[in-house]
Amino acid sequence: MTVAAGIGYSLIALGPSLSLFVSVISKKPFLILTVLSSMLLWLISLIVMSGLWRAFLPISSSAWWPYAILIITSVGFQEGLRVFFWRIYKKLEDILDAFADRVSKPRLFLTDKMQIALAGGLGHGVAHAVFFCLSLLTPAFGPATFYIEKCSKMPFFLVSALIALSFVTIHTFSMVIAFNGYAEGNKVDQIFVPVVHMVAGLMTLVNFAHGGCMIGIPLLYLMAMLTLMHCGKMVWRRLTENRGRQESSQ
Amino acid sequence: MAQNPRPRSSLLDSLGEEIVRIVTPVSICMFLVVILVSVLNSSSSSSGSVTSIATIAYSETDSDSSWDKFVGALLNSLAFVAVVTVVTFVLVLLFYLRCTKFLKLYMGFSAFIVLGFMGGEVSLFLIQDFSIPIDCIAFFLLLFNFAVVGVLAVFMSKMAIFVTQGYLVIIGMLVAYWFTMLPEWTTWVLLVAMALYDLAAVLLPVGPLRLLVELAISRDEDIPALVYEARPVTHHDSGNNGGNQRRVWRERSEPATTESENSVDRPATVPNSNSMPDSHPHSASVSDRETSLSAPLLERRASIESERRREDAALGDNLALEGMGLGSSGAIKLGLGDFIFYSVLVGRAAMYDFMTVYACYLAIMAGLGVTLMLLAFYQKALPALPVSVLLGVLFYILTRFVLEIFIVQLSSNLLMF
Repeated sequence: MTVAAGIGYSLIALGPSLSLFVSVISKKPFLILTVLSSMLLWLISLIVMSGLWRAFLPISSSAWWPYAILIITSVGFQEGLRVFFWRIYKKLEDILDAFADRVSKPRLFLTDKMQIALAGGLGHGVAHAVFFCLSLLTPAFGPATFYIEKCSKMPFFLVSALIALSFVTIHTFSMVIAFNGYAEGNKVDQIFVPVVHMVAGLMTLVNFAHGGCMIGIPLLYLMAMLTLMHCGKMVWRRLTENRGRQESSQ
Repeated sequence: MAQNPRPRSSLLDSLGEEIVRIVTPVSICMFLVVILVSVLNSSSSSSGSVTSIATIAYSETDSDSSWDKFVGALLNSLAFVAVVTVVTFVLVLLFYLRCTKFLKLYMGFSAFIVLGFMGGEVSLFLIQDFSIPIDCIAFFLLLFNFAVVGVLAVFMSKMAIFVTQGYLVIIGMLVAYWFTMLPEWTTWVLLVAMALYDLAAVLLPVGPLRLLVELAISRDEDIPALVYEARPVTHHDSGNNGGNQRRVWRERSEPATTESENSVDRPATVPNSNSMPDSHPHSASVSDRETSLSAPLLERRASIESERRREDAALGDNLALEGMGLGSSGAIKLGLGDFIFYSVLVGRAAMYDFMTVYACYLAIMAGLGVTLMLLAFYQKALPALPVSVLLGVLFYILTRFVLEIFIVQLSSNLLMF
């Protein structure tokens, strides 16, 4: 429904990430590069998964279990890739610290590390929104709109934008939680992230049922808020610990 | 009550700044081309193909079989690469004979042609599509002024850097848009052919670009070409070593790359007949216009300033960071041909679907990053086209045939992860 609607749907899915980008990420060029590389990594993981599943697509049956297997394998692969991302990040951290010593600048602060994790998560989230939501949004810029049968109360574009928004939140902040969990060796955090991802992915299967999106979308937002709160608590705890440690060492 | 400590300057504040300064204009150019392609091509399907130097061997029609199209595209690209090679050698010869004035004049002239005529045609398409009310005289006046300021911006180095950068991006966008009007198979095979040519021309000892760069370094002069500079660099016409700017040429030989630019390389022997039969845009022969762009749009590989003393001291990773332009002294320059071919790739991807656009964009950025890292590592002239273009083509194919159906299946059922 016209350009305004198209832009509106894109902003629903990507608005918060855009404001995060402008306020936090765009100030530091290194974070922009981190966002681009994590988007690339996410895209590669998608391509690998779609390559593996190519032989079985399109799934013609309307049963839900082939999709369930699809989602489980994809989420599992992506979580494995997150560990890989963490290893690369560790190496990068060492390089950056050595570089900082050489040019006699301070080493990476805790806030810096968290910002890098945030940028990585944002890259994943934005890639998700772009590939799952924005790339299908092209018809929305035209004169009409589209409804699907299973979720007939709202235009398809709106539904997919809302789901994309919740996933963007989940991806962005679970990266912060995950990196922190790996850094501290905190098992709770390490398990939290894959579990939330898997649960959120499987929750979208609810959309298969007629009218299922009425339940599915609020539940997804519940997961997103859970992620947000957990991340907030963790960041607050670490920052106050850090500040306490700094004040006591002065 | 504890006060917030004043924000300490961290390492992350300026790291990677130079790379972002190159990534931004490349992204803007690609974005503009995608917008142009999707706005202008949605209204009119490609009714005719453009006759140009790139289609002399074969002009594609819809009814040919895939194999025919592929062979035809291959012939087209070979013809094109041959023309570009010949013209590059002519350029090397001219540079060797110190005809720098002529080259600079030619550069200004071709910038005028691109901005004036190609820019004019694109504006005409836009005016037609959106029914913008504007009269001939006002249009002519605006266009003429626009083109003249553009020529001054690329000709003289005293213009504000932002204006020069803006005009270079616009020139890149216009040429890339014209390239996307070539038939599909020809475009893709041409991109791959130019990437391979670039590889050969810069790395082989007899490659014309390598000769050109070595000549420029030995004389300590600038190659007269259209190059995007991320930050202002003053040019000296004298040959003496004027400060910082010259060191970049001494340190690492610029991998000057293709002159693909534009395909427009038409040897100077072709009379620059400015007869533009412009009644029907599609049948207009783009060749004359293209010719003008030959010399100027030399692609140069990103050159990164690295000071000699740092090169001695640093090792391994540290050098990589410094040389990549992540150090504070790095200033990156990128040739306009790079802009053009990246945008052509993304514009062509836009003609299929937006998903391919996003995938190709990420692939090109990755290629650019890899090229910069290789440059820092190997410390010698490297071509920038191959990695990005080959990655871009690979991702296009993968997205179109593998990823798209996966994503559409999932998201049309509202399943996401």
